[in-house]
Amino acid sequence: MKRILAVMLAVVALGVLAFSAEKIKAGFIYVGPIGDYGWSHAHDVARRIVDEKFDWLETIYVEAVPEGEVETYIDQLVRQGCNVIFTTSFGFMDGTLAAAERYPNVIFAHCSGFKRNANMATYMADFYQVYYINGLIAGALTKTGKIGYVAAFPIPEVKRHINAFTIGVREVNPKAEVHVRWIYEWFNPAAAKEATEALIAEGCDVFAFTEDSPTVVQVAAEKGLPSFGHYSPMYDFAPDYVVSGQLVHWEKIYEDFLVKIYNGFYTTKNLAHVDYWWLLSQGAVEVGAKPGMVINPKYEAALKNYVINHPAFGKISVYELVFIRLNQMADPGITFDPFQGPVYDRKGRLVVPEGMWMSYDALITMEWAVEGVVGPWPGEP
Amino acid sequence: MRRLGPFVFEPRLSPPRYIVFGVSVLAVVVALLAAAPVFLGYGQNPWQAYAAIGRGIFGSWPSFSEVLRRAIPLILCGVGLTLAFRAQFWNIGAEGQLLAGAVAATGVALFLRVPEGLRLPLMFLFGFLAGAFWGLIPALLRVKLGVNDVISTLMLNYVMAYIVEWLVHGPWKGPTMRGFAYTDAFPLAARLSFLPATRVHWVTLVLGVVMAVLIALLLARTRLGYEIRVVGQNPDAARYAGINFTVVLSLVMILSGGLAGLAGVGEVAGIHWRLRSPSHISMNYGYTAIIVAWLARGNPLAAIFTALLFGLFFAAGDYMKTTLGLPFQITGVFNGLILFFLIGFDLLMFWRVRLARKEGAWISQAGS
Repeated sequence: MKRILAVMLAVVALGVLAFSAEKIKAGFIYVGPIGDYGWSHAHDVARRIVDEKFDWLETIYVEAVPEGEVETYIDQLVRQGCNVIFTTSFGFMDGTLAAAERYPNVIFAHCSGFKRNANMATYMADFYQVYYINGLIAGALTKTGKIGYVAAFPIPEVKRHINAFTIGVREVNPKAEVHVRWIYEWFNPAAAKEATEALIAEGCDVFAFTEDSPTVVQVAAEKGLPSFGHYSPMYDFAPDYVVSGQLVHWEKIYEDFLVKIYNGFYTTKNLAHVDYWWLLSQGAVEVGAKPGMVINPKYEAALKNYVINHPAFGKISVYELVFIRLNQMADPGITFDPFQGPVYDRKGRLVVPEGMWMSYDALITMEWAVEGVVGPWPGEP
Repeated sequence: MRRLGPFVFEPRLSPPRYIVFGVSVLAVVVALLAAAPVFLGYGQNPWQAYAAIGRGIFGSWPSFSEVLRRAIPLILCGVGLTLAFRAQFWNIGAEGQLLAGAVAATGVALFLRVPEGLRLPLMFLFGFLAGAFWGLIPALLRVKLGVNDVISTLMLNYVMAYIVEWLVHGPWKGPTMRGFAYTDAFPLAARLSFLPATRVHWVTLVLGVVMAVLIALLLARTRLGYEIRVVGQNPDAARYAGINFTVVLSLVMILSGGLAGLAGVGEVAGIHWRLRSPSHISMNYGYTAIIVAWLARGNPLAAIFTALLFGLFFAAGDYMKTTLGLPFQITGVFNGLILFFLIGFDLLMFWRVRLARKEGAWISQAGS
């Protein structure tokens, strides 16, 4: 009896030990205000999801942090006992690396950068496949053959998205053009409004964008024109006009990363090669006007009636094509990529040879503009 | 003498120091009281919060050093602005002049072939010259063409911000930055060293204090300083006395812009080690410096202290955001309230307020 009791006690003690692994206190540093309805908002939504999900996790955040100040804020978060710190802007990269070297016992993860350390990983959820799917839909909906794109900054990430979008557009509508306007801000509703109005004046009748507010959706809807939401679910801003859009699920990455730390799989010693580049197949991004609604039902009929003669699938409606492509990319064994060769840039150069896919490095340093993009393109090779 | 309801206001031409000090402290206290409901609204006990902020900032040298670090650009810009304001030249352009200095410093840091030992001194030199040039334009525009200095200095801020934006997106975009809009990092020889256990780039701090002393001496002890004061206080007398406005205002703005330019050098060489988006290079330091100079009442030495006060506000704001977990807007509300009361309580420095005693006195005073 005593022996059984001792064994039971030992089991209980082991159990307690196993489950009393250190609590994690994670600090999140955002470049924008969490009310921006874009990038920082999406990270904060994800933070709250993981915070609710795990009782061993405590989170705090700081918003609107200027890029040069990131080290100061990291200092303060460490002083408050954070043992995991996420920094969510490319401009935080060098400051995060310096802090990682200064605090070898804290785990860092930097979003969208490329510098890592034994205690510093990198992560990114990218939209290029999602933009391609949106492009297929946009190509079928335009009547003028001109699609407007309001873009933030001419950097590879945004260029990659515009290119993927345009490839989608041209796959179903080879003569259509994507007209681009740069506003040089991540968040500037006034500039986004002006750019949208200018594009409408040029004859554009479908809109996509990269900007952290629902402005483009609202301005287009006022004129009765369809658009694609960006970053957050924008369906509610214009239920009749938001066709689809790009949605992000940063919580998938945060959950994976934090659970692996909790289980002792990730430590302060082994992160030098940990880089999340998560796409549709990992569920980090989603195509939809809002979660679960890939295509706004109001536009289903139009897409089912738009039938093309596809080189791979023969006679097919765009509605069907969207879901075929989505499945090809969402399946863990991905069988399709938007940048599947042959891809020509708009100067006529072959940038992806027949049958080839682009490497990760080529994707994240993309500077060229694909055929079909119209408008200025700073840094075009 | 004026009256408002039962109160009588008597002008106080030069308030004694204890009044200035006492009224300023009173303003901060009233501001803290006024901000208390905001803290309560966010579920924080305001007194505990203030105590936490105080402990957080003054509790250790590394935390207190943040006050110094944030004050550095404000000292340099603020001192320059006191000079311009003494000449009644309304330089709203320290922001652009600061960025001009940052651009010049970046050019020297990344592209100029010079011995490594000379690199930092040349960055400061060219940063000063670039800020001076950006300040000189509105000075000449006003003297030669009568262009309003408030408008021209303000507008040139936007021009310089777009130049910075163009540089980081265009010709200066760093080859190692994978297409993102940043220049490459500065070489080690172009980075300022820190005070131990802090991120205080002390060279710029020392430069700021030295410049404050020099500008104070210039104003008080030199012929040029005298001319600057006359131009500011009585332009007609200055003209009558044959003071050359072109020379005086040009020199004022060369110094004022140049000092802001030095602040820009300090920011890129001491904090960022690269050029990046203008809104991240300067957190509106050029605009905040206007209030720094204004609260210093045109006294360059006092600007050091008002700059430190704002450094304290910034550091307190950082602390509120992280430790108290307040939304960043609350930081703005808090700082705004303190500022509002500091400026509003000015009234008490320059006007003595007392209750009107007799009906008769009211009438005679109202008539005076």
